[in-house]
Amino acid sequence: MALIERFQKTTDIGYWQGQIPLNYIYTVGRAGEKFFREIINGKIFGAKCEACNITYVPAKIFCEKCFARLEDKYLDVGTKGKVYTFTQCYETYEGIRKEKPSIVTVIQIDGTQGFLVHWLGEIDFEKVSIGMPVEAVFKAKKDREGSILDIKYFKPIK
Amino acid sequence: MSKRVAIIGIGTTGFRATTPDVSYRELTYEAAMKAYLDAGVEPKDIGSFVATSEDFLEGYSISDEYSPDQLGAVLRPIYTVPGDFIHSLASAYMMILSGVGPISVAQGLSKASNMLTLSEMVTFGMDPIYNRPLKESPHAVAGLEMARFLYETGTTREQCAKVVVKNRKNALNNPYAGHGVLVNPDYVLNSEVISYPLTQMDISPHSDGAVVVVLAEEEAAKALCDKPIWIRGIGWCSDTPGLETRNWAEAIYAQMAAEMAYKMAGIRYPRKEIDFAEINDEFSYKELQHLEAMRVCKKGEAGPLTEIGGTEITGEFPVNTSGGCLGVGNLYELNGGHKVFEVVQQLRGEAGKNQLKNVTTGLAQSWRGIPTTTGTVVILSN
Repeated sequence: MALIERFQKTTDIGYWQGQIPLNYIYTVGRAGEKFFREIINGKIFGAKCEACNITYVPAKIFCEKCFARLEDKYLDVGTKGKVYTFTQCYETYEGIRKEKPSIVTVIQIDGTQGFLVHWLGEIDFEKVSIGMPVEAVFKAKKDREGSILDIKYFKPIK
Repeated sequence: MSKRVAIIGIGTTGFRATTPDVSYRELTYEAAMKAYLDAGVEPKDIGSFVATSEDFLEGYSISDEYSPDQLGAVLRPIYTVPGDFIHSLASAYMMILSGVGPISVAQGLSKASNMLTLSEMVTFGMDPIYNRPLKESPHAVAGLEMARFLYETGTTREQCAKVVVKNRKNALNNPYAGHGVLVNPDYVLNSEVISYPLTQMDISPHSDGAVVVVLAEEEAAKALCDKPIWIRGIGWCSDTPGLETRNWAEAIYAQMAAEMAYKMAGIRYPRKEIDFAEINDEFSYKELQHLEAMRVCKKGEAGPLTEIGGTEITGEFPVNTSGGCLGVGNLYELNGGHKVFEVVQQLRGEAGKNQLKNVTTGLAQSWRGIPTTTGTVVILSN
């Protein structure tokens, strides 16, 4: 290395701090438009490729296996599924310790090959298991705005 | 029969948690100088250069523009691959096969300590519409995958902890590694939970460093080098990236990349025909998952093999003699670079205290980290 003495902190020696705001909008697309308009109605929409016998959730306009167009193959897949995998996360997206951990799950929506990543609520972490049946809990209708957060969380089906 | 291509020069800075004394350009310059000296070439002898960089990690919106000078590649054929180092190695290999010139160079770099908001940057790699609104840590993705891996294979958290113990111990004897330490499995299991079952010690800490590798076609390799290390097979593959559609149970990307490389190398039984491997272990369970995906172990057998010491330096199939990502550090797009560096050192007999005896064929595998499903594999022989 260039210097004999090794500094331990990146700020111990010459640097320039640079930052730039990066703000985007992300177009949800044709399938996303369908998915998020229906989520306002309390519904989850997928798309089925008949040839491959695969139902994607969320809806998409093409089959990634056979590349067929699925734009007229949207379907209501219901709001129930099973816990495919789960974790209890103690860290925020900024890498800071959370005051209260969240239960994050991958839910396989019943009758489909698709997953939704969302929180699990109304249960203690110790009681969660893979394969557990769950259903989506939506925000009050007036508060829905066409976002994945219109689902508050999934909860166990008693 | 295509031309044979060998690695004839390697150079690195070594890998440290911080490098406040050098800029990212100076890191690459040092690695390049060493690699060119090792190969006995000068920049003017090199037909083409392939650099590796990711804009957000580098802190430029067009970081590839800033890659020529520190490689001696000003006004020369160069481009940058925004992938893993082994992607760049594959490109440099193809440059030779396609006749651009008999000698080419692949470069990779990590200056992760420059990134003050590393966690947010990784989060920004997730889907903006379906995933980012949850504002969860990207480590939750690793926690989710680890939980499913343990469920599918019967692997235990203790077996994952053994991976950490082994790799961080191996790093102690690797002068290039920055995170060597002796710990016991309980220390790993009892370290702070980040995203259960993933603990702090299951996660590789980040490192800085650079690697440059010089490749040559057979005639030039034999003329320039006493110990050419031949590329026998190389492969790369990406699964569907979405958390909604990917295969959560298996690392299919690693399987397909390995099968591509095995086919090229004519390898049918990897456990028998390969002597050792450097496997991506950015998270402890990834080493086990990747070994199983690549047919080194059957499903559920990588954990038990690790438990009985089968992947130690003294074991029947040594894995990550360098210390892996856990012991060397997470180098992001350079992860494949340190793996290739170690395999070349082992095959040349230059791996120091961690040197394996009588090895002829080694494998280096990488993964592009969370939230990707992209893998790369290269098989090398002496």
